[in-house]
Amino acid sequence: MTDVTQSNQTDSSPTRSIWPAVWRWLQDSPIQPVAWPLLAILLLLPVVFRDAYLHRLLAASLLFGAQAMVFDFTGGYINAVNFGFAAFVGLGAYTSGLLAVNAGISPWIGMPAGALAAGLVGFITGALTLRLRGVYVSIMAWFVGLALMAVTYAMVGLTRGAQGINVPYLLETPDTLPYYYILLGMTVVIYVVLRLVIHSRVGLAFKAIGQNFEAARASGVDPTRYKLINFTLSCACAGLLGGFYAHFVGVLTPGMMVTDNTIEVMALSYIGGTGTLLGGLVTAFLITPLFDYLKGLMEIRLIIYGMLLILTMILYPAGLDGLFQWLVGRIKGRQKQG
Amino acid sequence: MNLTVLWNLLVTGILRGGLYALMAGGLALLFGVMNICNFAHGELFVVGAYVAYFAYVTFGLPPLLAILIAAGASFLVGALLEKSLILPLRRRSKGEWIMNTFLLTSGLSVVMQNTAQRVWGVRYRGITQYWAGTIRITPTMSVAVDRAVAFLIAVVGITGFWLFLRRTNVGRAIRAVSQNETGAMLVGIDLDNIQTLTFALGSMLAGLGGASMLSLIPAYPFAGGKPNITSWFVVTVVGLGNVGGSIVGGFIVGLVESFAFFYLGSGWQDVFSLGVIILILLVKPSGLFGSEVKGVLER
Repeated sequence: MTDVTQSNQTDSSPTRSIWPAVWRWLQDSPIQPVAWPLLAILLLLPVVFRDAYLHRLLAASLLFGAQAMVFDFTGGYINAVNFGFAAFVGLGAYTSGLLAVNAGISPWIGMPAGALAAGLVGFITGALTLRLRGVYVSIMAWFVGLALMAVTYAMVGLTRGAQGINVPYLLETPDTLPYYYILLGMTVVIYVVLRLVIHSRVGLAFKAIGQNFEAARASGVDPTRYKLINFTLSCACAGLLGGFYAHFVGVLTPGMMVTDNTIEVMALSYIGGTGTLLGGLVTAFLITPLFDYLKGLMEIRLIIYGMLLILTMILYPAGLDGLFQWLVGRIKGRQKQG
Repeated sequence: MNLTVLWNLLVTGILRGGLYALMAGGLALLFGVMNICNFAHGELFVVGAYVAYFAYVTFGLPPLLAILIAAGASFLVGALLEKSLILPLRRRSKGEWIMNTFLLTSGLSVVMQNTAQRVWGVRYRGITQYWAGTIRITPTMSVAVDRAVAFLIAVVGITGFWLFLRRTNVGRAIRAVSQNETGAMLVGIDLDNIQTLTFALGSMLAGLGGASMLSLIPAYPFAGGKPNITSWFVVTVVGLGNVGGSIVGGFIVGLVESFAFFYLGSGWQDVFSLGVIILILLVKPSGLFGSEVKGVLER
């Protein structure tokens, strides 16, 4: 990095043109420019602050944030709110966990298997409802989620029901830091894949057309097909994160699939701003540590989540992202004036 | 299967059906008139249950009065919620309105549940019965007076609600708004007031359900969960926004649930319900009695 800046300052070498090219590539690439500094911060934070408690907090925030990001992929881009999200996470977790416990299969195979299972159920749910109005998807996904939870409670022979199961850990070390970096890697991969879909020809067309279905069909875009791809992918990612959760926490109970958990993730994504992917991720890092002080007071935590969700919906639908864009606009405007 | 078991299943099914019809009717009204998906419908049920408990047990009021007070209180809470949350949302929110109401009310549901838990704790506040005694029909078949009266209240509530919608001017105004908002406004209907009234009415029906079922479902912070899920199930099965269908559907679901519970047990009964929903969405997405008036398919 340093020699590039130097050559830039000397103003004569052939590498001079590298910055505009890099800048152009940054703007054209599916990755949002703001993602780079964010990634740098997330990579460096645990190295700068070497504190086991902080590392745990970071990992927890990232797990929530990644879920909010995946949630926003459907909620913010195809306006289909997956109201059974927590159950899809749970399905991935239980698939991977049960494979490891009963068949001795490595979590590294179990986690993708969990993603596959959640993706499959998501595909069926989506195929049934995505041609209907948005709210049908939500209700259907909600019922699917409730049924998944009911099945997990009912199949006592396999899942031990409400007692829950102990699942082998992903790593042998008790240190959180390796888990954090693995999760960060997974989140980056998920983010890039999601952005590629959003940035694809069909994705861009869908965004440009908005929710106007006749215009979409007229311009050769099959909206239902795009929505189905989107929804299936989101459910699969939820399953993948669930698989990680299983082998990170080590204990699974059917209670993890409850609707309250969906609402928590949903609140994060909406407070962060919908249709941004990163909004919910950043919000998780702001809110999760805050709530760690309220440990044991689950109800107060949920009251605050609910209040924040309501206030965001009524007062400031653009969320934190809207605030961020406004700030950027102000700074740019000032620069122009000065 | 002997006659007594069949009789008990029928009684339980019809009794539960009355509750579901009451709640689903309110939920369908909200969707039909205001296009609101109210996820906090179960919480209004809880409001009714708590108020009835405090009126009947703490203040020692007669049962019927306690139930009426509970219905009135849920009406007020509903009106308050509409004025303070739904109205501002209508004024300020962008994006898809139906989805926004769904999200807003799901946030509201979490807030109400956990506030109740904070204030009153998780303790169950139930009563064994409002009215003692049983009605004997044959030597083996009987029904508790309490259950019978609860059912009667549900029927009276539904009938009154139906007559109100059909026969009164305000009811006609509500139906006018559900058919065409702009047209209703043009003939001089005050939209804001009608919408507040509609929300309050829907809430009252849920509260009435909670109050009259207090002996069956005690008041506790999360008591609304199951009734909420079931009334959503009913309105989805019959077709969103169909008030008349929801009332019939409530009874059907109550009966089916009672038999499914007997044969399958509580865990698998939910799976069975899901199977029914999937089948209906496959064959007729607008619901059993659904019409395409409100538009089921994405356009």
